[in-house]
Amino acid sequence: MENAWLIPLFPLLSFLLLLLIGKRLREASAYVGILLTLASLVFSILVLFERFSEPTYMAKVNWLTIGEVHLTAGFEVNQLNALMLFIVSLVSFLVHTYSKGYMQGDERFHVFYAYLGLFTFAMLGLVISPNILQTYIFWELVGVGSFLLIGFYFYKEEAKAAAKKAFIMTRIGDVGLFIGMILLFWQTQSFEYSEIFKAVEAGSVSNTMITLTAILIFIGAIGKSGQFPLHTWLPDAMEGPTPVSALIHAATMVAAGVYLVAALFPLFLASKTALLTVAVIGGFTAIFAASIGLVQTDIKRVLAYSTVSQLGYMMLALGCGGYVAGVFHLMTHAFFKALLFLAAGSVIHAVHTQNIEEMGGLWKKLKLTAPLFLIGTLAISGVPGLSGFFSKDEILVAAWEGGHPVLFLLALIAAFMTAFYMFRLFFMVFTGDARSEQRDVNESPSVMTLPMVLLGILAVVAGYINTPWFGSFLGDWLVDGNPILGAAHIEGPAWIMIAATVVSLAGILFAYFIYGKRSIAPDWLSGKGDMLHTVVSNKYYIDEFYQMTVVAIVTGFSYFLRLIDTFLVEGIVKGVVGFVQGLGRTGAKMQSGQVQTYGAVAFLGLAVLAVIYALTGGYLR
Amino acid sequence: MNLQSILSILVFSPLLGIIVLAMLPKTQEKAIKAVGFLATLPPLILSFAVYAHFLAGKSLSDFSVSVPWIQFHGINAQEPIFSVSYELAVSGFQLVLVVLTSVVSTLAAIGAVTFIKKEWKGYFMLFLLLVTGMLGVFTAENLILFFIFFEVTLIPTFFLIGKWGYFEKEKAAYSFLIYNGLGSAVLLIVIMILFAKTGTTNIELLKEIVGDPSGPLSADFKLGLFIALLVAFGVKLPIFPLHSWMLRVHVQAPPSVVMIHSGILLKIGAYGLIRFGMGIFPNQFEKLATLIAILGLINLLYGAFLAFIQTDFKMVLAYSSISHMGIVLIGLAAMNEAGIQGAIFQVVSHGLISALLFFLVGVLYERTETSLIDNLGGLAKGMPLAAGFLLAGALGSLGLPGMSGFVSEFMAFLGLFKVQPWIAAVGTIGIIMTAAYLLRAVLGMTYGRAHREFDGVLDLRGVELVPVVVLMLLIVLIGVYPSVLSSPLQATLETIMLGLGG
Amino acid sequence: MSSVPASAFLALALILFCIGLYGALTKRNTVIVLISIELMLNAVNINLVTFSKYGVSPSINGQVFALFAMAVAAAEAAVGLAILMALYRNKKTVHIDEMNEMKH
Repeated sequence: MENAWLIPLFPLLSFLLLLLIGKRLREASAYVGILLTLASLVFSILVLFERFSEPTYMAKVNWLTIGEVHLTAGFEVNQLNALMLFIVSLVSFLVHTYSKGYMQGDERFHVFYAYLGLFTFAMLGLVISPNILQTYIFWELVGVGSFLLIGFYFYKEEAKAAAKKAFIMTRIGDVGLFIGMILLFWQTQSFEYSEIFKAVEAGSVSNTMITLTAILIFIGAIGKSGQFPLHTWLPDAMEGPTPVSALIHAATMVAAGVYLVAALFPLFLASKTALLTVAVIGGFTAIFAASIGLVQTDIKRVLAYSTVSQLGYMMLALGCGGYVAGVFHLMTHAFFKALLFLAAGSVIHAVHTQNIEEMGGLWKKLKLTAPLFLIGTLAISGVPGLSGFFSKDEILVAAWEGGHPVLFLLALIAAFMTAFYMFRLFFMVFTGDARSEQRDVNESPSVMTLPMVLLGILAVVAGYINTPWFGSFLGDWLVDGNPILGAAHIEGPAWIMIAATVVSLAGILFAYFIYGKRSIAPDWLSGKGDMLHTVVSNKYYIDEFYQMTVVAIVTGFSYFLRLIDTFLVEGIVKGVVGFVQGLGRTGAKMQSGQVQTYGAVAFLGLAVLAVIYALTGGYLR
Repeated sequence: MNLQSILSILVFSPLLGIIVLAMLPKTQEKAIKAVGFLATLPPLILSFAVYAHFLAGKSLSDFSVSVPWIQFHGINAQEPIFSVSYELAVSGFQLVLVVLTSVVSTLAAIGAVTFIKKEWKGYFMLFLLLVTGMLGVFTAENLILFFIFFEVTLIPTFFLIGKWGYFEKEKAAYSFLIYNGLGSAVLLIVIMILFAKTGTTNIELLKEIVGDPSGPLSADFKLGLFIALLVAFGVKLPIFPLHSWMLRVHVQAPPSVVMIHSGILLKIGAYGLIRFGMGIFPNQFEKLATLIAILGLINLLYGAFLAFIQTDFKMVLAYSSISHMGIVLIGLAAMNEAGIQGAIFQVVSHGLISALLFFLVGVLYERTETSLIDNLGGLAKGMPLAAGFLLAGALGSLGLPGMSGFVSEFMAFLGLFKVQPWIAAVGTIGIIMTAAYLLRAVLGMTYGRAHREFDGVLDLRGVELVPVVVLMLLIVLIGVYPSVLSSPLQATLETIMLGLGG
Repeated sequence: MSSVPASAFLALALILFCIGLYGALTKRNTVIVLISIELMLNAVNINLVTFSKYGVSPSINGQVFALFAMAVAAAEAAVGLAILMALYRNKKTVHIDEMNEMKH
């Protein structure tokens, strides 16, 4: 574990190498990226196994001195960090491998791998940070990696807009984190997590301050994790290449918000208000995003809204005190959502469109992708036996036992919607007749399918490390030595599990009847052109709302300032210039060329001086 | 060569280049360019030598030099009534700025080789005079000497803008001269009053005399002098509403001059505020801290919002400079180690970043003959290197961690949040706006569809890469390992904090 | 010997000076202006001589000064008249208000 700091450096090396010599390596760049992330993965696995037997390890060096304060940089390996290291490096490695097939033939192949390296470096650095300042540093770098990758197809106007939006929207959240972090520093005199928790526990920070800082930090998480109301960038981010969506906008970066709340969990636990805020925002986002997901027609956007919704679940879990449930769902979601995105990428790779209304009947043509996609769909829908079922069940229990029946109900409805829209997606893409000409639809090469297979396995089995039936290994391990984080496993009534199962099966059936068997018309509730459908498919007009309020106000204010700049500031300058010029002109007129006038004026001046001298009796005092 | 003469050699060595240039015929283009560039190397080498001396753990006071210079004797008096000494010295803070100056000067000389198309001889002679002036400003230990060097920077800049600039160069040059001339007139008055009342212009002595409550100056009088200093250096910084000259200069001056101007000359304002404002008048600074914080806030937001709607990328950068100088003021107004260190970091960081960005703008303008955002677009295709560095520079400017901008922004806000949390909280809007306007501008130029075909444009090449890469490396170095900058500053900071009584 | 008081000399000098000043500022004829200037110079000479005799520390210095001033005044009058001649040849006038060529 002493060498855990090496893990983020491998991808950094990959980034630097590819920037310098990537152009010459061309497609061989992929091997640099894959090998170096493999090294990270191997180290991560080693660290994870070491962590099972050894206590938390932490090391730090001096980074910056401000007066008496020494800010440090370092790394920490605790349970959460070790788990995150494993998840991130695994998904990153798989995506690196997958991209070799997906990005084949792209002109800027090496740039893509360089950016992937940068992102992976930042993400791995983020999860081993021992202090909140370092977290913030990598937090921003992760944002840049995401920004660069979203804008990878820079010549597309949509990609440009999406990249810009992603950066600015997340930055709004980051400022919350920035303020929260600094306020916390002046309260506790430290950025170190351990010191902060100590100060909070000792009660040396006032309650209002805890609530304020916790909520500010949560704003950062809202931005990164695409929670309402800063969620709008995440669906737009699908303009990036699909492997990027799998890596960043499903498995790792967007989960960073959840990770942040989890890493600072003792701070949140100290404030009821902050926890409630997290729970309510999470619960609302879960159902809100799911409802938009019902009507989207772009395969990646459906998945994007599903991601937003699932992240809402995790926030809900944390907000209800379900630390284990939140982290558990983070892990399972990383696997099955990455799988879904990679499978979707495989579909897009095959049919060259993202519109699900133009797909159909691909089950027979994509022999490997289709079953894998089905596994992912089943897992996210919460069908018993797969990973998503167990983690979602934990969350529902946490919500119920945490005393939030309303949020529990929201989560249950969102679960129904999730099952419905995911199977709507599945049926529209893979069953029925082909809806457009698809002549040469081929299965993707094995370099793409192998990572999918691995993720598919994980999506099935990952849930069994924490089940009510076989024991809660993950939970026991996560809270080991930190009783403040809550119980390893929350015992809930059995009907919750049954209800969850019923709800998800109902969603699947419902989708089957509409899109599979087509015995119910898709517009039974609200067809295209109806008010409800229009509002939902336009994402509740939130983008337009921002455009009309925030953007308009900022632009308007800027133009107002420009008026001040041109008229007031420049006006004063012009006034001064005019005054000086006028004075000069008047003076020039007095110059008549008559030497006798000059003499008279000079004499008068002398006389005045003499009079003043006489009156005051000396120099002016 | 003893250590005491090093600073004098460092400051005046560019003048040697002027002499050599004067003897070269006007038509020898290559030789003139070579001499102009080479003459910036001695200060560069010497300043790094001084830095190495510091790193070796030796005292910077080894370099201090003090020689009697101008003396006025009374008719019969043996002792001079007024005496001004020739005094040069470096503290850690000054050393940092001297290194910055010599680095940016050398790179600007490389830039000039590319950007200047006519009358190289006159250009480089003025340029080298300017370099001497800047180095002198940062090493002078005496207000009169400081003022002389300060004026020496003014005149060459006036001609450099007025002769080698773009279309409205004369207007820009005049507004530069008038604003700065007025600023330095105010400065001269302050210096003369201090001289007359205290009989010395040595900065260290002045600190003691002014700091003494029973000294020759009343409290109100000191406050007045401090406000005058604030105005004098406020023009240079520039502080709203004294900024309009700077916009014109940034747009009209040739890129290599803007590199110097934005990179170093604006920093003289910050230097003056810290060294004289805070150093000589700490108590007065404390009294006006809230006002300065508000001024900083106005600068920060005003610049940011106006940069958001500019159509010319140069204007975006000009307003961005105003915005970033607001961070300097904010940091200073915090009056604690974090804030002041942040302000000094911002001085250096902005010097490097704006030099980088203006160099790139110069390259872009040379290739495409426009710097209007709407006329450009999709440049990443034709010139990936330039576009990449432009984006990297913009990210540095908007305070991306890992680059110098973040460290300074972070520390300035860290300091201000301790004393003025509300002003700081409003100021964070600036962080968002900075991201918004820079990305809008840079992505507008490099991403998206090309509005015109730029097939023939050449990417950065050869000698053009040198300034870009060097600046980028320095920016990243400070961002990743800020101690490289903060360790020389510790002694200076302690002195300032002692003066502030904290 | 010293029956005439110093104030009488000073009053004479003052009157002379004022006449000279009035003439120099009001007369249009340049010759008269020049003569008036000579009057003012002589008023100064009287002052110098007066103070050399009745001043705080009487000495010969003042009288020597007066002699110098006379010599300079003579030279100055010669130069002035020469300029006047040259001007007259060019402009055919000696009126001072027509001689405003130097204002531009």
